[in-house]
Amino acid sequence: MIGILDYGLGNVGAFYNIYKRLNIPVCIVTDAEKIDSIDRLILPGVGSFDWAMNRLSSSGMLEELNKAVLDREIPILGVCVGMQMMAQGSDEGHLKGLGWIDASVRHFSELTNEKIDLPHMGWNDVQVYKGHPLFKNLEKDAIFYFLHSYYFQEGSDSQIMSRTDYGEVFTSSIFKGNIFGVQFHPEKSHHWGVQLLKNFSELPC
Amino acid sequence: MLRFRLTPCLLVRNKGLVKTVGFKDEKYVGDPLNAVKIFNEKEVDELIILDIDATVNKKKPDLLAIQHWAAECRMPLCYGGGVSSVEQIQEIISLGVEKVAINSSALSSPELINQAAQLVGSQSVVVVIDYKKRRFSKKYDVYTQNGMQKHKYDLLSWALEVEKQGAGEIVLNSIDSDGTMGGYDMEAIRLIKKNVSIPVTALGGAGSLNDVKELVNEFGTIGAAAGSMFVFKGKYKAVLINYPSQIEKNNIK
Amino acid sequence: MLSQVNSHKICEVCVMDTTDINIVFDKDGVCDHCNDFYSNVKPNWHTDSKGKKELDKIISKIKLDGKGRDFDCIIGMSGGADSSYLLHKVVVDFGLRPLVFHVDGGWNSEIAVNNINAMIDKLGLDLYTEVINWEEMKDFQLSYFKAGVANIDVPQDHAFVATLYNFANKNKIKYIMNGGNISTECVRNPLEWLYYGTDMSQINDIRKKFGTIKLKTYPFSSVFRHKIYLKYIRQVNVIKPLDFMPYIKSEAMIFLEKEYGWQPYPQKHFESRFTKFYEGYWLPKKFGYDTRKVQYSSLILTEQLKRDDALEMLKKPAIPDEEAIHDFEYIAKKLGISTDELQMYFDQENKTYRDYKNQLSIFNAGAKILKMFGMERSIKR
Repeated sequence: MIGILDYGLGNVGAFYNIYKRLNIPVCIVTDAEKIDSIDRLILPGVGSFDWAMNRLSSSGMLEELNKAVLDREIPILGVCVGMQMMAQGSDEGHLKGLGWIDASVRHFSELTNEKIDLPHMGWNDVQVYKGHPLFKNLEKDAIFYFLHSYYFQEGSDSQIMSRTDYGEVFTSSIFKGNIFGVQFHPEKSHHWGVQLLKNFSELPC
Repeated sequence: MLRFRLTPCLLVRNKGLVKTVGFKDEKYVGDPLNAVKIFNEKEVDELIILDIDATVNKKKPDLLAIQHWAAECRMPLCYGGGVSSVEQIQEIISLGVEKVAINSSALSSPELINQAAQLVGSQSVVVVIDYKKRRFSKKYDVYTQNGMQKHKYDLLSWALEVEKQGAGEIVLNSIDSDGTMGGYDMEAIRLIKKNVSIPVTALGGAGSLNDVKELVNEFGTIGAAAGSMFVFKGKYKAVLINYPSQIEKNNIK
Repeated sequence: MLSQVNSHKICEVCVMDTTDINIVFDKDGVCDHCNDFYSNVKPNWHTDSKGKKELDKIISKIKLDGKGRDFDCIIGMSGGADSSYLLHKVVVDFGLRPLVFHVDGGWNSEIAVNNINAMIDKLGLDLYTEVINWEEMKDFQLSYFKAGVANIDVPQDHAFVATLYNFANKNKIKYIMNGGNISTECVRNPLEWLYYGTDMSQINDIRKKFGTIKLKTYPFSSVFRHKIYLKYIRQVNVIKPLDFMPYIKSEAMIFLEKEYGWQPYPQKHFESRFTKFYEGYWLPKKFGYDTRKVQYSSLILTEQLKRDDALEMLKKPAIPDEEAIHDFEYIAKKLGISTDELQMYFDQENKTYRDYKNQLSIFNAGAKILKMFGMERSIKR
């Protein structure tokens, strides 16, 4: 059973509908008890870092979430701000992140001097490294929808799954063991996103 | 490389889709829900839906309809019309909408942009600016009330203020070009693109993919929005939804 | 609800069966649909040189009548295979100048829109559309759900027919090119399944009992207007060119795909999301009427399908169950009702057209007269 964590942010319904259409068992997780019965999770996210961390902390699910991800090591996919929250913190806010990954989140102006419009808004391609199974069956020219002003700067304990070019090349998806993060929105990336979400549901535990 | 965005823009009045020329001469186009579904199946880049009734008639956004539209979209949806408070913006986002567009409420109180951006993030706050070229002048005037009332702001000053307040995107809506299918208002777009660093989407005047090509060739990554072009077909303005394939879009650059 | 038929019998030749409650079998177990085809339709169906000659005569007349005018004929396009193939024939082979017309009832599938676009673009034609006011269509369709009758597609059907005739009339176009054909439609849907969409008496009765708003812009017409007035007084003719030539559906579709990038539908009439739901789910599951039997039987009689293959296909539902659930939800959502309410209409007692006012006697009288003059061919009962 895939659980979509509903802590008040992100397009929970979009993920839910996609898995329903694929006939993959899915449920929306609104309280801590439910997390126990889930074998993999989606952590959606939209909006600002602090707002997201705040909502997550006050959802009452943080403790169970940490247990599930760090102890039980169930696969978890963080999307956009959901991915950024997995870092230690973000330049966008003051609150600490989940700290699951040694990483920080920086503003695009730190990445490049090129004059780029912000937020990074629209469809962009991903250079997938070493054919990770999360990107299985996706065409070479697969594109995904991005909508963010801050990017993920990974440290040494996670691996890059894909990079994307906007002004400069940045990391658009990472993984560390059971933890996965995508900067783009698979729930809003038509069939490319659906394929990726399907792949996530099929990743070995 | 970031692609240009090719975005259908649907206008809703009285629960039905309409298309206008110069914000007048309305033609009934049909049921919004089926149009949304077809655009989704055509894998459009994004979709904008504007309720042109709401603000003028002081109506609240139709939340149930918005929720239904959002559920049919596997691409980002932007909703605008009758939005005047941060609470409404938050509520609409929670229905599964990626971006909320504000227009006259932002003009009345620009701080609304800032407050909304603080709460839902600037990427979800879009400001639509309706404008007309001023006669015998290089300037453009901002209009409200569906193009009927001239505002004190000129286009450039307002665009700069909008950016300053923290909006994530500006939609430049040319009243003069609306429904004419005679090409985008390149001059005005040039003026704004030169002066802001947030994403800009041009709306009004697109009649064919050549117009989009002209826009993209000059500005690269920009939003190209259109209403008539994706909804009408041929000289009798038959109502038939159309949208280029991925291959046709790739050929535009 | 499905009623249990104790003695379920299938025709020996086609696949029509006793779910058509008026079916009659002869001593060899062959049904009246087949016998009617053999006796009345087939002998008068000429797709060879005789047919070509007749068709050429008609085409010449159309061209002559249309001289100096913008259009010489009119075609309604649904995006479906028959009307698409016919359009190709009319423009490319016959060299006619049709006014091409599409009625948007609010249920277009993306494939239909795509197909119409592809053909219009390649043929360089100008399209007219009539968009039915959705709030009115919605109320009209809901009134049919509430009435509990089998043919809930009357609102869409009627709009198409009425608009087409209105348009031909307004533009003084005398020839309506119709994609209807014996090759794939020689067996007609029984009236119990698809009662006439042009029976205004029935429409008015159902609207009066179950409609909630006035239908101010919806195009209404009547059978009298169509068959008698328009044909004989205003001299409007319906031509079915596909009956004058060999028409093999599968070949036509392959051709359309190659020539126009035309995309096929999972089943006939699936151009409209509503008709797909209606014929693929509502009719079979609530009433036990599967229109595929009619379609397959026609193809069997015209030797385009083997009976065994048809029986095999009929074993599976027209719409897979998981898909049906999503369609059900979408239909309810679009009609502005809850799935519970839609389920309630599904569960309520099955009614027939006889439960409401109807002009069946007039239709029957009219059909007899037309048949006497050799104008209508196969039975519609």
